[in-house]
Amino acid sequence: MNSTIICTVCPVSCPVDVEWTQEDGVTSIKNHLCKLANDYVASEIFDPGRTVTTSMPVDGGNWPLSSVRTNPPIPKALMLETMYEITRMRVQAPVKVGDVLIAKVLGTGCDVVATRNVKSA
Amino acid sequence: MARPEVADVTIIGGGPAGLAAAAEAKGAGAERVILLERDDRVGGILNQQVHDGFGTKVFKEALTGPEYAAIYEDRVNEREVETWLKSTVIDPSSDRLITVRNDKRIQRIDSGSVIIATGCREWTRGAIGTAGTRPAGVYTAGAVQNYMNVRNLAVGRKVVILGSGDIGLIMARRLMLEGAEVVCVTVILPQPSGIAANIVRCLEDFNIPLYLSTTVSEIHGKERVTGVTLANVGSKMGEIKGTRCFVGCDTLLLPVGLIPETELAVAVGVNMSPATNGAIVDDSFRTSIPGIFSCGNVLQVHDVVDFATLESEKAGVAAAIWATTGKLPDPVITMNAGAGLRYVLPATVSGQDNVDFTMRPWKEEHDKSVVFKSDGEMLRRLKMPHMEPAGMIRIRVGKGRFKHVINNEITAEIED
Repeated sequence: MNSTIICTVCPVSCPVDVEWTQEDGVTSIKNHLCKLANDYVASEIFDPGRTVTTSMPVDGGNWPLSSVRTNPPIPKALMLETMYEITRMRVQAPVKVGDVLIAKVLGTGCDVVATRNVKSA
Repeated sequence: MARPEVADVTIIGGGPAGLAAAAEAKGAGAERVILLERDDRVGGILNQQVHDGFGTKVFKEALTGPEYAAIYEDRVNEREVETWLKSTVIDPSSDRLITVRNDKRIQRIDSGSVIIATGCREWTRGAIGTAGTRPAGVYTAGAVQNYMNVRNLAVGRKVVILGSGDIGLIMARRLMLEGAEVVCVTVILPQPSGIAANIVRCLEDFNIPLYLSTTVSEIHGKERVTGVTLANVGSKMGEIKGTRCFVGCDTLLLPVGLIPETELAVAVGVNMSPATNGAIVDDSFRTSIPGIFSCGNVLQVHDVVDFATLESEKAGVAAAIWATTGKLPDPVITMNAGAGLRYVLPATVSGQDNVDFTMRPWKEEHDKSVVFKSDGEMLRRLKMPHMEPAGMIRIRVGKGRFKHVINNEITAEIED
């Protein structure tokens, strides 16, 4: 099989020409500017994931919200379910970048981690 | 009035450009570096850009905006840059005696170098002249991003987005994730103006329709938006008769674009470029006024924050050198933007150092080359599989190449 997959790792958006088979995986990859595209197109074909970025309310902080992300990316099909899990949560300040706010969300291997430092007000 | 504070380098604006410039100015030997920020936090636009994709050039990974900002905020603090929050420059002055108002008082700073890194603000509804009533529920995309991601406020339930620039696409996804319905994204041009990666991740992933060659011809509603009239536009941007259709919604997003916030640069009287709407600078990011530098989005609108950071780091180093030694290499070589290019920045170079040129093409191009020539002599040629106006091109020319420059002039252009 072959197709053109737009690499979405960064804004450059390389239109990557890729060939693959179910047995051997990716057999040829062309038209990409950096190595990050290799992993991206393989996962996009066999196991697409997405980083969900949103925010979570913080009590007692100098910001009302901490921004959060899934780490590593969660399966694409679970994006909205992950949002429901996140919207049910609040956290207490302080919050530091990298703090795990939900471990192994929805039983996946992915955590929801903070991406903003929120100090206690 | 109290005696002015004395600083080596003062940076106006604490967004990504100002943070990077401040950290490097300090690292390059400036003793006292003051970073002025009118908000109560540094980080600028990155604070509200909670999506990821920042840092792939500098850090080789996709960070979110707040994570990217936190790295530079930490760096500025570690290097003991003085950060003045809630501090607005009310008189920049061409002789680098800056007047600042903060929440306590009016202060002046007598600074060896000044870096203008004031970024951009958004165009508003008035800039595109949409007909109709003036109800609540019409927002710029950046305002909605700030309400949702910083202030925890919802803006509406049923949303139409006019314009497919990146911020509009990103907000389409954010609104969907937060439970609003995005009825459609429309764009007046026959092709989307945002990058392809965002079309995939923000629209296709959520089955949000994208209507090309379509505009909002009228806004309806008395107190709150009740809907908009969409219409197709022809090749000359005129509305095609008989294509009007009403779409119900309670919110209209206008991600119309960014204007460099150049008021301070204009007030001090630096020479401005009509192509970038920013200051004209040399390869040390010096403006036409000695000791005044400019970098970041107020210099040229970037689509990748990493490039704004790299540019600003150079500006920070140069500003520190000028403040401490009074010497920077003279920009003796003039750059021209030739066939196919809207501009090339910097406008002049010394030829004594490597230069990372940035430029944008007038239109989409495939399998062409960007060439740097001097009086017919080829200095640098780079094959470009794909170029488009929405993608800034960044090409390094090594200092050795400048030895071959004839008559102190270089033209950059697109060739087959």
